[in-house]
Amino acid sequence: CHTSGMLTPNGKEYAQKIPREELTHLILKLLQAWKEPLSHFNQYIEHHQELPDDSLSKAKQISNMVLELKTGVEKSMGIISNTLNGMASSEGTGLSISNEANMMSDSDFIHCFRRDSNKVQSYLKILKCRIMPENIC
Amino acid sequence: MKLRLISSAQIILQLALTAVGLTGQSYPGKPQIIRCRSLEKETFSCWWKPGSDGGLPNNYTLFYSKDSEEKIYECPDYLTSGPNSCYFDKNHTNPWTTYIITVMATNEIGSNSSDPQHVDVTSIVQPDAPVNLSLETNTSANVSYLWAKWSPPPLADASSNSHVYHYELRLKPEEKEEWETVSVGMQTHYEVTSLQAGAKYIVQVRCMLDLGEWSEWSLERRIQIPKEQLPPEKPTIVKCRSPEKETFTCWWKPASDGGLSTNHTLLYSKEGEEKVYECPDYKTAGPNSCYFDKKHTSFWTIYNITVRATNEMGSNVSDPHYVDVTYIVQPDPPVNITLELKKSINRKPYLVLTWSPPPLADVRSGWLTLEYELRLKPEEGDEWETIFVGQQTQCKMFSLNPGKRYIVQIHCKPDHHGLWSEWSPEMYIEIPTDFRVKDMVVWIIVGVLSSLICLIMSWIMILKGYRMMAFILPPVPGPKIKGIDTHLLETGKSEELLSALGCHGFPPTSDCEELLIEYLEVEASEDQQLMPSHDTPSKNTKIILKETDNDSGRGSCDSPSLLPVKCRESRSLPSPLQTQDVKAKEKKRGKGSWETQCTASEQKILPCNSESTKSCTWLAAQLPSSQPAMFAYHSTVEAFKITLNTTNVNSSPVLVGNEENHQSLYPIAETVYDDIEKKSEMENSKTDQTTAQVRQNQRNDKSPFLNPKLMDYVEVHKVRQDEEPTLLLKQKESSGKSKKCTVPGTSKEYTKVSTVVDHHILVLLPDQRTQHPPVSQEPVAETSQNSQQSQTEKNTSYSMTTPSDSRRDTSGSDYMDPSSFMPSFK
Repeated sequence: CHTSGMLTPNGKEYAQKIPREELTHLILKLLQAWKEPLSHFNQYIEHHQELPDDSLSKAKQISNMVLELKTGVEKSMGIISNTLNGMASSEGTGLSISNEANMMSDSDFIHCFRRDSNKVQSYLKILKCRIMPENIC
Repeated sequence: MKLRLISSAQIILQLALTAVGLTGQSYPGKPQIIRCRSLEKETFSCWWKPGSDGGLPNNYTLFYSKDSEEKIYECPDYLTSGPNSCYFDKNHTNPWTTYIITVMATNEIGSNSSDPQHVDVTSIVQPDAPVNLSLETNTSANVSYLWAKWSPPPLADASSNSHVYHYELRLKPEEKEEWETVSVGMQTHYEVTSLQAGAKYIVQVRCMLDLGEWSEWSLERRIQIPKEQLPPEKPTIVKCRSPEKETFTCWWKPASDGGLSTNHTLLYSKEGEEKVYECPDYKTAGPNSCYFDKKHTSFWTIYNITVRATNEMGSNVSDPHYVDVTYIVQPDPPVNITLELKKSINRKPYLVLTWSPPPLADVRSGWLTLEYELRLKPEEGDEWETIFVGQQTQCKMFSLNPGKRYIVQIHCKPDHHGLWSEWSPEMYIEIPTDFRVKDMVVWIIVGVLSSLICLIMSWIMILKGYRMMAFILPPVPGPKIKGIDTHLLETGKSEELLSALGCHGFPPTSDCEELLIEYLEVEASEDQQLMPSHDTPSKNTKIILKETDNDSGRGSCDSPSLLPVKCRESRSLPSPLQTQDVKAKEKKRGKGSWETQCTASEQKILPCNSESTKSCTWLAAQLPSSQPAMFAYHSTVEAFKITLNTTNVNSSPVLVGNEENHQSLYPIAETVYDDIEKKSEMENSKTDQTTAQVRQNQRNDKSPFLNPKLMDYVEVHKVRQDEEPTLLLKQKESSGKSKKCTVPGTSKEYTKVSTVVDHHILVLLPDQRTQHPPVSQEPVAETSQNSQQSQTEKNTSYSMTTPSDSRRDTSGSDYMDPSSFMPSFK
């Protein structure tokens, strides 16, 4: 996976230890990293037309959702995407990420996406339960 | 020879004994030689079986002879071979001769000898079985050998070791039935190769001399052949599970171990790493398992897990199993399931089920989010109803039947990819039936009362059905004029009747304005009376009948029928009908006067209208004599309209039209029936109609509704207010016909208004019960009842019945000035 290079907490304890801001950044980084590959993927499957229509629409839906999620997290965390982009580029992973993404096969792509979305979900949930009042979780 | 002597002597002895008589003792029974055997052809023994001893101790002697000799010898040795035996040692044994052996049993009384036995030594040779059988196994190169060793049978005479025996060996696996026999030859050992590994074998040997028989089989010896030793088979990894998304466990299944004890080791490597680790904990999760604790569990990485089985012969590795811990989460079932019964607003109970997530799952930090699902079924039912509850830990159940027992179970799963937990243990729910005794009692009382009421009602209906019907649906009364005798009418003496009634003063004079008189004016060329009406005690049931007097048919205040009516019927009786006689001359009255009178009467009427229960007599305002007493009272009209409307009849009442005033559509105050009555009667009597038509003056061409052919009904004679209210209509006297006071055969009492035709024609139904000969002055195109029924629109003439005293008595109705019955018009 192209996001394998990212250092993300691999367990509950690690995730809980990370301060909030860092976790948020991680989430956004992940989401950002998938922005391009998803659009590429969408174009790809549109051209190939192999999949049934509902898969296509699902894929589109997913891409949109990722974007929306990213925007939502940004808004809720009060982060401007500029800083994030700055961070991403400063790490120098932007180009390589997109290159790697293009090289992936379809199944790998889906597998990596599934995993990363699970990561994002877990981190977000931890954040939520940290931030929100007690009885939410 | 000697033998023969001896035997004969024995016989004589026996005979003598039997002759003497038995005293319980006799000579012995015959012994029997069982067997003679030689072990090695040099010696032999014989054994016998004694017969009955005859009660006395017996002595046994064995005699033998050789076949080539006569000499009888006695057994040399009774002891060596045991009791009842004889042992012939070497010196006495000659293998080539045949011995004839007998045994004699002797006791005090006599003796007995066995049958002789011919014994050929060579043929009775049978050695003993070999002894000291020993077995050994040897396994080399996965092949097992069985090594058997034994010794020849022992002989008394150790010197004769030179005998050569032939041996035979047999073996079989313990479970099997068939022996495998091997001829061994003369050795006293043998090696068996074709053996089943792992089986237990039984081995025996026997021997034989070159002559004779095989010995018995030796004692059994058993031995276990060791199993084949193989390297273990490939184990398989069964499953890996994480109960709380923090640790996980893998289980494997070993295959056959090849006969030796096998060791299993689990090895894993992580995605992206080369290093291979071994399972950190084989114990915690039980046999054939590996437990990865928190430190060794990483998420979002794929583990490559294999199991290796090792034994002395070798090892074998299972197929690799790839697992990402995130996706193998299967929580424990929820715990702390509690039920609470609550009552909702309308007293229906509902159940609130609450539970807690399993203890290990860390829901509070958000690391693991669980979704729950319930399933429910009645205790006796088969199918579960599954309810997905989501992430909440409680559920309200409204749909349960009180009194029934339900089984409920919950399970959960992580909200992302994962597995459903096991179902929680069954929970039984029973909702108490909210069964208050009070409710039951109320229901019982209600039931009893209603059944009683039903019984009473049905009883009444049965008994008085007819009367009830009449009560509920009273027929339309014909006009009954007080004092008019139906009989008189029948006889046709209308003059008398009228006079008897004392018709006078009709129409009512103006000083009777205070009497609210409403009347209908049936306008035609002649005055026509219209409007049978039957007053019943109800509001707005005002019928206006025009009172006619002798000359003009005008209603009269002074008419005896009116006033008493008013007085008498202070309670809620219908106002008297008043017929109004429209005379031609009265018609000439201007509209204005009408109107005034209308209004006047209206005023008078209005209060009446408002009083529903009081009887109001609507008295037609007195018209000047010249005026056709036709008043349409709007109020009444309204009422009429209302009532008529409700009866689906063209509600505008019959037109009262003046030939001069084409205000043709004065709503005629039709008989305002009781709502019910009118409706029912009008509806019921549709088929049987006699139309009373208001006939406008013939000059009035604009009255389409008037049918010149119609028999015109001048006025309503009488409205009987008794139980059978009928309206007797006075027939109009048509021009050219002078049937005044003729009483037609059938004077009809009209009891029902069937319809209103054309807004101005009231169709009446004759009284079918009482058929009075019509007193009509007109040709009565009366149809009989039957014909009436057949003709819906036929005009019939109503007979005018002259009131009579008797009639008055019978009718009991209190209106209708007799004077109104004067056939006057024109």
